[in-house]
Formats: sequence, C-alpha cells, structure tokens
Amino acid sequence: MEIWRLPISASQRGKLISAGYTSLSSLSSISSSDLARGELNVSESEAMNILKVASHSRGSETSNASCSIVEGAQSAWDMLHDEESLMHITTSSADLDNILGGGIHCKEVTEIGWSSLSLIVNSVLKYKLTTAFGSESIIFMLIGGVPGIGKTQLGIQIAVNVQIPNDFGGLGGKAIYIDTEGSFMVERAFQIAEACIEDMSEYNRFLRKDFQECKIKMQPQDILENIFYFRICSYTEQIALINYLDKFLSEHKDVKVIVVDSVTFHFRQDFDDMALRTRVLSGMALKLMNLAKRFSLAVVLLNQVTTKHTEASFQLALALGDSWSHTCTNRIVLYWNGNERYAYIDKSPSLRSASAAYSVTARGIRNSSSSCKRIKMM
Amino acid sequence: MARLANLETEYPVLDSTVRNFCASHGIFSAAFAEQNNSSERLKEGIAQVLSIIDDMHQPWLNGMELLEDAKRNKHVFPTGIQGIDLLLGGGIRVGQLTELVGPSSSGKTQVCLRTASNVARNHMVLYLDTGNSFSPQRIAYFLGKTINPSSAQAKNQFLQKVMSNISCHSVFDIFAMFDVLHQLESYLRCQDGRGGCQMRLLIVDSISSLISPLLGSSSTQGRALMTSTGYLLKKLAHQHNLAVLIINHTVGGEGGYSKPALGDSWKCIPHSRLFLSCDRGSNNYNVSILRHPSMASGKAARFVI
Repeated sequence: MEIWRLPISASQRGKLISAGYTSLSSLSSISSSDLARGELNVSESEAMNILKVASHSRGSETSNASCSIVEGAQSAWDMLHDEESLMHITTSSADLDNILGGGIHCKEVTEIGWSSLSLIVNSVLKYKLTTAFGSESIIFMLIGGVPGIGKTQLGIQIAVNVQIPNDFGGLGGKAIYIDTEGSFMVERAFQIAEACIEDMSEYNRFLRKDFQECKIKMQPQDILENIFYFRICSYTEQIALINYLDKFLSEHKDVKVIVVDSVTFHFRQDFDDMALRTRVLSGMALKLMNLAKRFSLAVVLLNQVTTKHTEASFQLALALGDSWSHTCTNRIVLYWNGNERYAYIDKSPSLRSASAAYSVTARGIRNSSSSCKRIKMM
Repeated sequence: MARLANLETEYPVLDSTVRNFCASHGIFSAAFAEQNNSSERLKEGIAQVLSIIDDMHQPWLNGMELLEDAKRNKHVFPTGIQGIDLLLGGGIRVGQLTELVGPSSSGKTQVCLRTASNVARNHMVLYLDTGNSFSPQRIAYFLGKTINPSSAQAKNQFLQKVMSNISCHSVFDIFAMFDVLHQLESYLRCQDGRGGCQMRLLIVDSISSLISPLLGSSSTQGRALMTSTGYLLKKLAHQHNLAVLIINHTVGGEGGYSKPALGDSWKCIPHSRLFLSCDRGSNNYNVSILRHPSMASGKAARFVI
C-alpha cells in the first residue's frame, strides 16, 4: 500500500515522500527514533504517530479472511433477514405509517419537510402499533416544509413514540432532541406524552381483557426524563455536538432516535464561504450516517424550505441546496393541500412515492379527520 | 519503490559510497536515476539502479494482445433496464469506470440496485454504500419479477443463491474506502488464480459524498486524493476485469442549470458518464450520454423503473 493512502497530514506525507519512503514496506523496519533523527524533520511523537498509522494499515492487509471479501461486509441475503426483524417507530398516524412502511426506520436518515401532518386520534384503532412490522432498519430521514406545518410537533411526537414499551410494539428506547431554533416546548411535550399514555391504556383495555396485569406504569414525567435535550446556538456548537455524540451514545446505548430540529438553521445566515459550508455539511452528514449505522438508531432531520427562482417562476425547495438533498437517505416533504396537511415521500431507496394526510391536534399528530372511512381494525 | 539502503542486501554493489553519491544528488530511492558519474564503481551502481527501475514498471503490450484481452475478458454487462442497455449498446463494460450523475432522487441508486441484482445471477458484486441506501428488499423485488415462481421454496433458494453473491459494506470516509479497496485488491489477486464465481462488479454509492468534504479548502490535498481514487478504481477495473459503477450528484452551475459535482478535474476520469433525470411526479426517467468511449454523446433515452 502506498503512503498517500494513509490518513496523515499533507506536510508529513510530503516529508516522507521526499525522504524516499513511498511504500509501507519501507516503514516496516524502522523505529520511531530513527525516523525522527533521520532525514525527516519530524518530532519523536509525530514519528510514533506515523508508524502507528502505518502498522494499523499493514495489520488490515494480513487479516484478509477468506469468508468475507472485506472486513465488515455483509451479504444482501443476511441483510434482508436482518431487516425483517427490525422495529419501526410509529408516527401515531396510521396513514403516515402506511406510506412509510410501518413507521420511521432506524439506521437510515430521514429528512422531513413539514408541510402538513394531520393525525386523527378519534379512535384507538387508528393508533397503529407496530407489532405487524418489526424491523430496526436504520433511517436517516430529512423532513422539510413551510413554517407552521408542524415540523416540531412531529419531532416531539417521534421523541415520545420511541419510548413506547416493547409490549405495545414500540422500541422502548430513549431519544435525543437537538434544538437549534428554540422551538421545543416542554409543556407541549408533556401534553403529548400524557395523550400517548392514555392511548396506550385504552388500547390495553380494548385488546387485552385482563388489564389488571398490564397496567400502564409509565407516567408522563418518565417519558420526559428519557428525552435528552441539547440546545445549540451556533454552527460550531452543532459540529461539536455531533462529534460528541459518539461518546455520548457509547455511554447511553438505549438511545434509539436522534431528532435535529432545523439542521439548517445556523447554516443559512452569516455564512459567507459557500465552499466551507458544503464541506462542513457533507462532513456532518457522513458522521450522522456513521452514528446511525453503528448504533442502529434512527436520525430524523427537520429542514426549512426556501424559494428557488428558475425561469421566471418561483418554486419551493428544501434549504441548503442539491448537495444536502443528496446526502440523506429518505426525504419527506410536508405541504398544505387546501385546508389539509399532507406528507409526501420524495426520496426513498425502497418505498414508493406516496402521500398521506395528517393533522396536528391537542394530543399530538394524528390521522386526518376527513378520511374516517379508512378505519382499520387492529 | 524500496530505499537504496534496503536494497543493499540484495545488490551489494549499492554500498555506502554509491548511496552517499546518490544522497548528495537528492536520490534516496530507486525511483530516480542519474547520468553523471565519474568512477567505474559508481557507474556500476547507477546501472544497477536503472535496471531495478526497468524491472518495476508494467510490461509493454502491443495492439494484438490488447485486442485479445478485450475479446476474452472485457465483456459487457446488461443493467436489466431496457432503455439504458439500448442506449449503451449492451450495458456497462468490464474494465471501465461508468459514472451516473443526476440531481437528487433521479433514480441513480435504483439503477445501481437493478444492475447489481442482474449481475449477481452469475458473478459476485461488491456494493460500497455511503448513505445507508442499500435496500435488500428492492433487490429481492427486482429478482422476484424476473423469475416464474414455481414454488415458494424454489424462489427462496434462488433468492438466497443470488443475494449471497452481493456484499454490501458501509464506508463513511475516504480513508476507510482506501482500506476496503486495498483488501479488495488482495482478494482479487487470489481470485484471478482460481475459477468459480468471480467478482465482476464494484458499485460506489456515492463517491461524491466521500470526496466533497475534502474539496475546496486552500490545500490541494483534496484534489490529489480525488484523482488518486479515480486512478485506483481504473487500475482495479482494468487489471482484475471489474466493471466499476460510481454515483455522483449535481450542484448548481452558472445560469441556474445543474452540473455534475466534483469539478473539472474529475470530468475526465470516468470512462463514461450518464446523466439521469426524472420527470416530476411520474415513473419516467431520462438518461443521456455525457461521455462514452464508443457511443456518441448527447444521445438520450427514457426508461421506467
């Protein structure tokens, strides 16, 4: 393997090459003190670092097992079976869950453009529990939409729904809520948590007649306790937090969803250097993908919309441009259609484009009231 | 290239005098050659260095050998999508780097999944995924459409056989990808010796997510890494008879139209480039050729997924 493939700084690489070390084998038999003393102008600690990186790369050469082509690769057949056993996070709207194939998957990044979520809670039967589907597929979802469509409401609803216990078909996990705009209202979260618990007990009574055993022991305070809330005020804080999440998630293994409320907020104003913005955003997206895959969690990003002026017509498009749209796995756009709120799947590797209506009620996100005839029996 | 000091054990003529002479002229490895010398011993040493250099480069090939190699090894793989196969005169070619460019949600990942499911029937496929967008359900769906389900068990066996040929690995930064490609290279070297099911397709979805965080800063390291990646992929494709399919996205250019990302330096690296776009709200996709070694650029076709 050649030197240029090692993750070391450009100046160190330049020094190594001009001193004649162009391949890993030439570094194999030298000690760090010789390296530092020799023709290079590097300090002892830098020399040790270089040798450490080189030996790590050399180690990965020799451990080429015959069973898999590369370390960590999985065959598609294994992945298919893994996915069939994953869990979804319900959005509390049966229609929305339907088009999402069961709910928000983990391991992917979903961007939601809030346009309209109307969920009706006029019947417990609409409270779709995810027992029929079970797959902790990773979701990286980007949700985008105009202001006032209910993005933050959906974010809070997801943060509450992820905590539904396993008995009710939920994930029983905790949530991380990263707030950049300051739109997270604790009272609203409490209201939604209360409504969620009431629905669970009603479902309990409806389906299981022996409700003495399965009494809901959860209180709204418990739900609020399991939401880890971070408030960030600048883009540097945002980058620092994403870097810190690695350590945080290794300590809190039961976190199952990360909701970022307005991932774009700090990047839209005061950013003069566009190239820097693209670099920072793509780097951040890759880190979030990495977290989603390693810890098997769902990442939901909420985005704003902006107006794009093309050919003398105005069009609404998600903020931050094409490069950012490319990085997310799924994209949901929320929009108004008359008086109703609709959610539309814009981009997904495995779901077809569909839209569903929902509404924002006092109890959170529920199905839209106009489609009463689509009541489902659980 | 080895250092001259390390080569001394094999070639005793490269003793310290020769090395000091070389060092005084800035030569530390066998990569450099020097013509000026004033003593017999030095002449011998220099001649030895030059012969070591000659041994190291690739052997020359003539046109007939290249044609033989092309006919025997460099086949064409159909993607399974009729419109694209007709446009490309068969499909994607082994030994070449094919790039799919398009705005967001224009069907690039779907084309890759379709091609992977098609090629996996007879060969092995490696899918490098940077955005967690590899979907086994879609692969199962594409495969299910093409066979007649005689029985559920037979279908299951077929799915298992074909899908075990596809390996998927997630990479999230460029150095991780280099590691993976290096392991792939050693795997392919052992594979060339033996027969059986061989790896013939490498898909990188998407290379632009890995490279964009590196470009644009004041240092040129990003662009150097980008061109090195391109050359590495082309080398793997040619030497080990792989077809390589990579995905790029678009950015806004002047005048409001979109152009492929990664800039002008990347433009000449892939052998063929296809531009995909989608008619909003329907299942119809358009593909047009931006660059191809044997088809005219500008030709376009439509297809449905």
